[in-house]
Amino acid sequence: MDEDLPTEFDLVVVGTGFVESIVAAAASRIGKTVLHIDPNDFYGGTWASFNLDALQSFISSIAESPATDESKQFNSIKNASQIWHVTTPTATPADDAIPEGQEATEKIWTKENVLKEFRRFNVDLSPKLLFSCGKLVKLLISSNICRYAEFRAVDHVCTIINGQTRSVPCSRTDVFNTKDLSIVEKRLLMKLLTSCMGYDEHPEEFKDYEDKTFLEYLKSVKLTDNIIHCVLYSISMSNEQTSLKDGIDNTKKFLNSLGRYGNTPFLFPMYGCGEIPQCFCRLCAVFGGIYCLKRSVSNVSIADAKVDSIKCGNQDIKASNIVVGHGNILPDFSIPAGGTGVGKKCGGISRAIYITSSPLGAEELNSSGGGVNFLKLTDESGTGAFVLQLSHYSGTCPKGLYLIHISCSAKSNNPEADIKPYLDKLLTTDHPPAILYSIYFTIDACLRCTSGASITNDSLSNVFVCCGPSFELDYDESIDNAEGIFKKIYPEDEFLPRAPDPEEIVIGDEDPVSVADDVITLDSVKEQIMELEAGLLHQEDCMEENSRNEEMAMEVGEE
Amino acid sequence: MEDYKFLFKVVLVGNAGVGKTCLVRRFTQGLFPPGQGATIGVDFMIKTVEVEGEKIKLQIWDTAGQERFRSITQSYYRSAHALILVYDISCQPTFDCLPDWLREIQEYANSKVLKILVGNKTDRDDREIPTQIGEEFAKQHDMYFLETSAKEAENVERLFYEIAAELIEQARSKEPISQHSRSTADSIGLSSLGSKANYLSQSGCCSSLSSHST
Repeated sequence: MDEDLPTEFDLVVVGTGFVESIVAAAASRIGKTVLHIDPNDFYGGTWASFNLDALQSFISSIAESPATDESKQFNSIKNASQIWHVTTPTATPADDAIPEGQEATEKIWTKENVLKEFRRFNVDLSPKLLFSCGKLVKLLISSNICRYAEFRAVDHVCTIINGQTRSVPCSRTDVFNTKDLSIVEKRLLMKLLTSCMGYDEHPEEFKDYEDKTFLEYLKSVKLTDNIIHCVLYSISMSNEQTSLKDGIDNTKKFLNSLGRYGNTPFLFPMYGCGEIPQCFCRLCAVFGGIYCLKRSVSNVSIADAKVDSIKCGNQDIKASNIVVGHGNILPDFSIPAGGTGVGKKCGGISRAIYITSSPLGAEELNSSGGGVNFLKLTDESGTGAFVLQLSHYSGTCPKGLYLIHISCSAKSNNPEADIKPYLDKLLTTDHPPAILYSIYFTIDACLRCTSGASITNDSLSNVFVCCGPSFELDYDESIDNAEGIFKKIYPEDEFLPRAPDPEEIVIGDEDPVSVADDVITLDSVKEQIMELEAGLLHQEDCMEENSRNEEMAMEVGEE
Repeated sequence: MEDYKFLFKVVLVGNAGVGKTCLVRRFTQGLFPPGQGATIGVDFMIKTVEVEGEKIKLQIWDTAGQERFRSITQSYYRSAHALILVYDISCQPTFDCLPDWLREIQEYANSKVLKILVGNKTDRDDREIPTQIGEEFAKQHDMYFLETSAKEAENVERLFYEIAAELIEQARSKEPISQHSRSTADSIGLSSLGSKANYLSQSGCCSSLSSHST
């Protein structure tokens, strides 16, 4: 275990967050030698998931570490606090207050028995959802990394109307079945969704509203307030100022991802989003990448405006290129002064995590022990907040408990204050969640985004800094970031081509073909190409299906 | 081509150099790879076996070298049905690390995972760990125990066939509910949608965006 590392690599990656891990996997996949290290003893950095025990220690360690040491350390997570709202066993309710039977089934959660289940938690620092036809899903499939992960289809997209948490009808079936809409409303909704899907083919329908907001358009087509609310806030995740074009693009993105894996357009990774970077790390390792947690770079030697070698432990390691992840910093890397907040792109997120003993919303949103539900909240000033409720079905908390994640753009250094308006909205609904434990923290921007300066280009030409999590629901910007870095280092090479399937080297009883050591044969390359083409065909299927959906929608309209 | 009744995920862990890859390749390919060449690009191996008249597909995962610096991803352990913990009978340190491995298994693997302790390299004549010591350790930690030699092909078939038999036994006992002993129902693999009919949309078209050779 105290083996020495090889002393020369094509690429050294510091940090195992999402962006870094993708770059590592992509480089390894095209045959580059990769050393991937992380100073932490866990994978994922700012993108990690923790069990409850590890989470508590992590938050305390941040809360206790002095924020002054900025020159040496760059903390991507700050302003952390945690508090238990239950300590001692709650007083047993009077016997006559609760009907018999109910008492037996409803467990009373204390701090002790929540902590006893700590291993069943996988709490995300940066929770996200994947659009079923989104960039990450496509990348996972096209690269064949999807075999390392499993997903849970999100059960409900919710909204709060008049203090009630309701499910937004997503699919055609939902629209048919919902009792919240009248027949007339259903027709109007289907008609609207159909015309949004046909925006590119029939731009003339929208001509008068080109410079207007999406809201103005929605009002013009005589929709009821209920529908406008659902479409504007939940389906297109827009606000009052969103332009028509953006509103329609968002709506299309939502609709395009429908009907693929579940009732809503979203997927959540089983056991938490922290699994995703690890999937890319696994691929990197399978193609020869070397992994080493609990290692950091203690020194760098620079020659000709390039990092020539790094000191890792007591070894000097030569590296052609270096990728540095969010929350990591190389020694001798100066942070440009006074630049905070300029050109901020990633980070700047206020986060809250609640462990609750009851879910948000009524039973129908949480059938058989809890839904994995998503809620977009808006506020007057802009970007709003993402709310994600996770039940034990997502593999992130024990049965009977729920995790509620809230993320919003950071407005201050007080995440609790930033989150409060949104929390209040949840707490004043008809079925407010009962909070047992809460955590607040801020995710900071990466070094480059914070300083607003392009450190890499100006000083060291072979060092690339990765962004941290952005305030986006899916991973689109982060994937662009990773692909951009990869293309800068290896402009000629393909980004994450499909990895061969193990099935391509099956040795079954009936098929005892001996497989040579070089697994990637010409045949398998041909197969890959054929399958890639097949993949494209499938995408067309997907589009075709959407047009079918439209047809069906038309039928509803003509009903 | 998909005529198997069960698919089980088996993962191997243990220190570097104890012979994990050799065990897998001896079983799946019938060969003993000379030297320590890493198998670049090979993720897991598959072998279909027949136990009690049932065809069973074993998906056998190797550590991809991440054990060298004790940096195995948690996701490696997820949804494994069986876990083979390997040490080298001629190398005491590989045995001494077992408690560390068990801690990691307890942390990340399903609590009901079938655990097998394997002492490999019985062909060596410089044995350091007597069979009885291994046996006792296994018993203490509720694991099955077997000694093997990947080089001489001793007990390798037996190891995997017994795992298959035991997993079938477990699966049958809860078959009415679910064939796959997953920790959580209804999870979706992006490439294996075919079997999740309950989660396909009602329109029923769109089942397999990635229906490549699964």
